[in-house]
Amino acid sequence: GADVPRNEHHVHAVGKGDPQVYAGQAPPAEFAVGDAVRVRDVQALFYTRTQEFVRGAVGEIATVAYEAPAAEDEAFDYEALGSPRPEWFYIVRFKMTELWPDYTGEATDTLQTEFPERWIQAV
Amino acid sequence: MSTTGHQHEHRPPAPMVEEVSDFEVLEVAVRELCLEKGIFTAQDHRAFTEFAERIGPLPAARLVAKCWLDEEFKRTALAEPIEACKTVGVDWLEPTGFGTPSDFTALHILEDTPTLHHVIVCTLCSCYPRPLLGNSPEWYRTPNYRRRVVRYPRDVLAEFGTYLPADVEIRIEDSNQKHRFMVLPMRPDGTENWSEDELTHIVTRDCLIGVALPKPGVSADVTANRIREAQRGGQ
Repeated sequence: GADVPRNEHHVHAVGKGDPQVYAGQAPPAEFAVGDAVRVRDVQALFYTRTQEFVRGAVGEIATVAYEAPAAEDEAFDYEALGSPRPEWFYIVRFKMTELWPDYTGEATDTLQTEFPERWIQAV
Repeated sequence: MSTTGHQHEHRPPAPMVEEVSDFEVLEVAVRELCLEKGIFTAQDHRAFTEFAERIGPLPAARLVAKCWLDEEFKRTALAEPIEACKTVGVDWLEPTGFGTPSDFTALHILEDTPTLHHVIVCTLCSCYPRPLLGNSPEWYRTPNYRRRVVRYPRDVLAEFGTYLPADVEIRIEDSNQKHRFMVLPMRPDGTENWSEDELTHIVTRDCLIGVALPKPGVSADVTANRIREAQRGGQ
């Protein structure tokens, strides 16, 4: 039933979906499509979804994606952490040559991947 | 092997399995404990199994064919992918009412152009648009593919028999958060006047991942068997 704590996520997301259930809950988006951003190069203990191979790299915002809690919070029981505020997620586009100094493909090749706002900063 | 119909030989019936692995022992232990503690019900377990067995790449292939045939549909599909999936019978809110817990409800359709080709991967695990494409292939989950495709995409594609010219930008899409992706490949030459069904047949799972390109006459993923047959002239 609705009063069982472990059903909380189901109950609030049903009929909406995830991440749609968090729409409108984040502070205003700090970045817009086309902005140059750098992935923060900080150490993450225990869990992160920010790959090591993008740390410190500069890319540009390809998509302002959706609002959601960061995976780093969700993975350790979002509700138990006091439900930190959802934040904007962005799909960022990198030149392959920015990620791999010895890249052997074409200079135009790219890679896109997604981050919560906390992981990126303006260049 | 079946032993039915030979009871007069007084052979004992063959066991269902020769050996039960540690994995199977643990699977039963975990599942039965969950049922006992009311974490989920046997009906829940069955419903999710049925869901996992029902899904496959066909709806996504049909979605691609529809996009190829109808420019207006393609535009709306790219803008509202979750809505567009309903036209091929896929409701991303199934089977829980809020989507599957691991695939979420945020889809991007990545449109290839003459100068851009997309390939999807999940370097962190095996995230895949299951409601639309079915279960991920074994190789997609391997550390090998996950490690190499983001760094040597042209070499990995070549191993799949897919070669793209230098003037085509390859874009790897690493699905590391809640978005899931599928590739909308370009419609190949030689398919003029084809019906939606005919077009659907050549959009294989590998084309939707981006490791293969659709080709008239090719309606299955590359398998060892298919390569052998091609090399031996169908013998």
